[in-house]
Amino acid sequence: MCAREVGVTAEDSGTPEDQGDNPRSGLSADERGLLEAFDRLRPQGSLGWHFDDTVRRLLERPQFPGRPNGWAGLPADLWDRGRGTKASERVLGDVVTTVAQDLSEYTDRAVDESYQRSEDAIGELRRTVFDAVRFLAARVERLESSVDPLGMEAAEFDLPAMDASAWFDDAPTWAAARSDLPVLLGELADDGLLAALAASGTGVEGVDPRGPVVWAANAAFDVGNGKAGPATAIAEVIDYLRALPDASRGCVVLAGCVDRTDIAGKVDLIDEARRVVAPGGAMVVLVTEQSAWDASLAPVVRDLLPGRPLHPETWQAVLEQRGLRGATWHRPTSGSVHAVVSEVGR
Amino acid sequence: MSGIHLFVPMLHVRDAVGEHTRALRDLLVAEGVDCRIYIENPDPNTVHETRHYLEYEDDAIAGDVLVYQMATRSDMVAWLAGRPEPVVVNYHNITPSEYFAPWNNWIARHQALAVLELEDLAPTAALGIGVSTFDADELRRCGCPEVVVVPVANVRIPPTPPDPTTLATLRGPEGEDGPRWLSVGRLAPNKAHQDTIAALFIARATTSPEARLTIVGSPSEPAYARALRRYAAELGMHGAVTFVSGISDGALAAHYVAADVLVMLSEHEGFGVPLVEAMSHGLPVVAFAAGAVPEVVGDAGVLLEEKGPRRVAQELAALIDDPVRRESLVVAGRARPAALGLDRAGSDLVAALLGVAGRAPGVSGVPGSDVPLRPAAPLSH
Repeated sequence: MCAREVGVTAEDSGTPEDQGDNPRSGLSADERGLLEAFDRLRPQGSLGWHFDDTVRRLLERPQFPGRPNGWAGLPADLWDRGRGTKASERVLGDVVTTVAQDLSEYTDRAVDESYQRSEDAIGELRRTVFDAVRFLAARVERLESSVDPLGMEAAEFDLPAMDASAWFDDAPTWAAARSDLPVLLGELADDGLLAALAASGTGVEGVDPRGPVVWAANAAFDVGNGKAGPATAIAEVIDYLRALPDASRGCVVLAGCVDRTDIAGKVDLIDEARRVVAPGGAMVVLVTEQSAWDASLAPVVRDLLPGRPLHPETWQAVLEQRGLRGATWHRPTSGSVHAVVSEVGR
Repeated sequence: MSGIHLFVPMLHVRDAVGEHTRALRDLLVAEGVDCRIYIENPDPNTVHETRHYLEYEDDAIAGDVLVYQMATRSDMVAWLAGRPEPVVVNYHNITPSEYFAPWNNWIARHQALAVLELEDLAPTAALGIGVSTFDADELRRCGCPEVVVVPVANVRIPPTPPDPTTLATLRGPEGEDGPRWLSVGRLAPNKAHQDTIAALFIARATTSPEARLTIVGSPSEPAYARALRRYAAELGMHGAVTFVSGISDGALAAHYVAADVLVMLSEHEGFGVPLVEAMSHGLPVVAFAAGAVPEVVGDAGVLLEEKGPRRVAQELAALIDDPVRRESLVVAGRARPAALGLDRAGSDLVAALLGVAGRAPGVSGVPGSDVPLRPAAPLSH
């Protein structure tokens, strides 16, 4: 279970399970989730891990009689490149790994076929492998630096809370078309929007990556004390959406997260939300007015965040381009949060 | 005339092994013993006080004793094992490789090789010196025939006074702060700082919304250090968790004095210098009972057998809210360094090494005996 899929409650909310040697076996589910959130940040599984693992296999290649002396190991620049690549570039890491494996298998075959050759010849083959890997590693680094040269995360910045109060009255209507299914609020904005959706009578779940925000919502709704209320979870909205079945929600409302992510992140959110909303259900994007966004942030934060709000008209175009129907821009009667409401086709 | 020379892979300042080595060198020199520090890889900050270990081959004198400060892998070990002089292994513990495997394969392999080196060197050592019983037991398991326990020599007793400017900054205006947790230790995976951050998250969500954590330690594993910062940020606590490194002894003392509790949830400690530093400064300690921690803390702190974040948060809240219990731990903590023998660790270490020197071929005694050891001489480069 991912840490972000659980909210941490004030009291011990879980039953110890999986008793055994695992030091976390005695912990409640929310505590385990909290600790597992850190596990995800390890570079294990990244290019760094695969790269070194590939090299380990190269190093541990079985010896055979007559084979030239072993090699001294990977050149230092390749070790450093392999270790330095971030976990988020896992896909590229896998590509490099696959190519490196293919090349090493080729080397192996060549060695098997020609172990009588001089060591110089074998050395040339190794150099070929290293040059290829070096080239690919350089490409990965170039791509990384073009995507996120500073390596900064949006979560590292303090962002003002979104004031969605203009939409409290309209929110229940968004869920009306498919009231047989629950509503998902992607980032809580404030407790009021969660309350307004809950008032629609359908089940509501609120997801937010910020622990304190979820905690505040839990406290407001008395969650965890046996009373009914919206379900909450600490999670990145995109991660949460990816874990949900197709057509399992009657409505998805995206707030906050759609403002600060880059274009690729926005499209990912829309695509996942469209998959999750049942036919006939609504998808709503709450978007901050660009001038208000600029005014609310310090220049450094504004400049270094990976993304900024799209204009509502741009959102209409994006939503329709991603297959949603009837995207309509609703201006707020007060405040600076606009709503773009669309429908998932039946 | 012979001497007692110290060998360490790298000599760093503000590093437990580095400071111990420099303190031991000063103690031996003060005793009139010729003592040099030999290294494998130079550190720019200390290069003026070291020589490369292969230079010892020109410096060697019959009757020398070679003391290896062991905490990691080094080409020095195979070289030392082939030397005719008696070799003393001053063991500071090798962090098991599994802690590094998810973060840095190279260091993980380095640590795995270090264990193999210890197994090679220990059986031939003239003496093994563990800085704790925990370390001494490991030396014995690796075949060291004679082992003694002498704590680290670089703990200052009485403690370094706090830097007043840093202290004033840390304390801030009266009455505006919540509980201040402090963790001191390199940002290395075995230190498990993430567990302290997770406990802080629980504490801020439940008992202590204003609690803050300061982690003082150099980012020795950069990937791990980055992950800690990101973890704090993802939990919405980047303003509540402060990372500090590269500070003076006085500034570190100010952190000890300004904090309400030291939290150490490390999973592997060969000694745990911050524990005794904190206790010396009257700071109560809450620590996970791993490695040498129980023998260092004794009954002068709160020892946890398990460290789930909720349990840690509850223990800390209970301790901070109980002034009587806090005071009893402060009193017990201030007495702890003397109980551990830290006030005489330097002289004990020197005596142990002089004992080996007295047995070394070509030497019939220790300073004051028939064959005095060579007096200290300035280094020449």
